[in-house]
Amino acid sequence: MQRRKFLSLGAAAAAAMTVLPATLSATDYRKTAAKAWEAAGSKDAIAAMFGGGAMIEGQLEIKAPKLAENGGAVPIGIKSKLALTTVAIFQDANPRSAVVVMEMADNAVIDLMTKIKMRKTANVTVVAKGKDGKLYSAVQRVEVSIGGCGG
Amino acid sequence: MGSMKIKAKFKDGVTEVKLLLTSPMVGKEEAETKKVPVSYLTHVTAKVGGKVVWEASTGPFLSKDPYFMFKFKGAKAGDEIVVETIDDKGKTESDKDVIK
Repeated sequence: MQRRKFLSLGAAAAAAMTVLPATLSATDYRKTAAKAWEAAGSKDAIAAMFGGGAMIEGQLEIKAPKLAENGGAVPIGIKSKLALTTVAIFQDANPRSAVVVMEMADNAVIDLMTKIKMRKTANVTVVAKGKDGKLYSAVQRVEVSIGGCGG
Repeated sequence: MGSMKIKAKFKDGVTEVKLLLTSPMVGKEEAETKKVPVSYLTHVTAKVGGKVVWEASTGPFLSKDPYFMFKFKGAKAGDEIVVETIDDKGKTESDKDVIK
């Protein structure tokens, strides 16, 4: 699959570029953190994905239902005012924790949404990496009335 | 099989993209329980002007037919957004849409 192309910043190219973001770092989290996708619990998955460093709380807003009626499609919204490069979702509802790792370019607006499966009531943890290199996290417990992972 | 839906809207300097992909998103556990084949997307990229604006390493705990919404600045109405996906078998799909 075609990977991202690197910009060559000649003067003409720079002038024509307006403010489109530069290319992303070429990280395919499936390859660089393969173990993280196998880990059962969120603590292990997060450590395998991002290292075991300290994570700052209070900078990410998770928008998820307190009670999800359909565990097959639980909407998870993530917002932040920070400049983030990476946002990942983990949960303790399924046999393995890591769900998705999203990467954004410089001009991203951190207002994301996706839908995940949850077999049972559990915590959903969002971990993000800032442009400042720091790690941020937020947790929300989501109750699930009907499990959505074939369980 | 497989057709994605891309909706890209530009408003007040921000492009909002809503993406609906096609995939059973069945991992090994569910495959065993339901006696169906493993099949899930492993990576998705969205590009404008050949440059990646958003991408995701994906796993089977996303919902069936994964949905994403994301936003970015720097593009404008009339620009084209190209989305590519690849699954666990290495099969790729691609589609594009014009930002409205």
